[in-house]
Amino acid sequence: MKDPYEILGVARTASAEDLQKAYRKLAKKLHPDLNPGNAEAEEKFKEIAGAYDLVGDAEKRKKFDNGEIDAAGAERPRQKYYRDFASSEQDHPYANNSGFTDFMDSEDGFAELLRRSARAQANRRGHDLEYRLPIEFVEAIAGANKRLTLPDGSTLDVAIPAGITEGQVLRLRGKGAPGSGKGGFGDALIEVEIRPDRSFTRQGDDIYLELPVTLTEAVLGARIKVLTPTGAVTMAVPKGSNTGTMLRLKGKGAPNHAGGHGDQFVKLKVMLPKEPDPELEAFISGWESGKTYNPREAVAT
Amino acid sequence: MKFSTQEFLSLSGMGHDTLTAWIEEEWLIPGGSVAEMSFSEIDVARARLIRDLQMDLGVNDEGVGVILNLLDQLYGIRSTLTELREVVRTTR
Repeated sequence: MKDPYEILGVARTASAEDLQKAYRKLAKKLHPDLNPGNAEAEEKFKEIAGAYDLVGDAEKRKKFDNGEIDAAGAERPRQKYYRDFASSEQDHPYANNSGFTDFMDSEDGFAELLRRSARAQANRRGHDLEYRLPIEFVEAIAGANKRLTLPDGSTLDVAIPAGITEGQVLRLRGKGAPGSGKGGFGDALIEVEIRPDRSFTRQGDDIYLELPVTLTEAVLGARIKVLTPTGAVTMAVPKGSNTGTMLRLKGKGAPNHAGGHGDQFVKLKVMLPKEPDPELEAFISGWESGKTYNPREAVAT
Repeated sequence: MKFSTQEFLSLSGMGHDTLTAWIEEEWLIPGGSVAEMSFSEIDVARARLIRDLQMDLGVNDEGVGVILNLLDQLYGIRSTLTELREVVRTTR
């Protein structure tokens, strides 16, 4: 890098005020955003800004003058300027056509060209719009048709595919913001949020459910009704089941990518009658093997 | 790329009060809702330009508004000119 004083066009003895004045004068001419059509402006501006970063700071200037630091690496790192975005084809909220709309009203060939260009500009695709859609656990497994009410009061029908997972994004083609002219609509992007369920939990494609059974059902076995996200099914509880016994309902889990389904696991929980039952008490008092069995044998005390 | 208010403030090194003031002046027009504003890269670059105007070039607040309005008109003309060039090229 050249000498910073030289770049700013000031003497080494210049005061801080003179330095700032010199820098401002150059920056006004060379700031890239004020010179959108000047490709060189950015390089030159980087140079003068780097020079001013060095000698415009009293501390750094002192070190530089004493030869403790040099001008190497003082150039400002490359950055994105406003002009890099403002002239792009992309629509942005700061676009302003008031500088030439009057030209478009006349009847000459130039106005026709402008109008044609405006039409081309007018055929832009609309923006994608993002939404969040909370759904129930059961809907995520079984699939559902939901209706989303948009901020403007209109509605959007969303088909939730079976087996969708938390955070998955659904794209509805053409349901975003309107484009202009023939540009067509953007897409609606819907992020799915799954509400936790009171009874079901999910691990991968498998579903877990804790199911209370009566003492009678556990001891003697039974066929009982179990809820799955896709409806109730009948399940055989084998004789001698216990709290913690895990039963599997094959294929009753969430659909997976392979085209199959996970399983639903049902964990039994044996429940005594809510009210103390004299008949049961009478039986238990006379039940000899019940008095010798120690379920805590394996538990260290 | 989209930024939250917090990300925008740290990227552009400005305070919340300044942001509110700039939005009121319509120097910045963030997307999203009032409760949850969303900023894009053009907003970050524009904030940097405003800061350059104020700090480096010593432009006062009235001047910033005038400059931004004229610049936006200039950029509007430039992008139309760019498209016009395409039209002229393709119709030749």
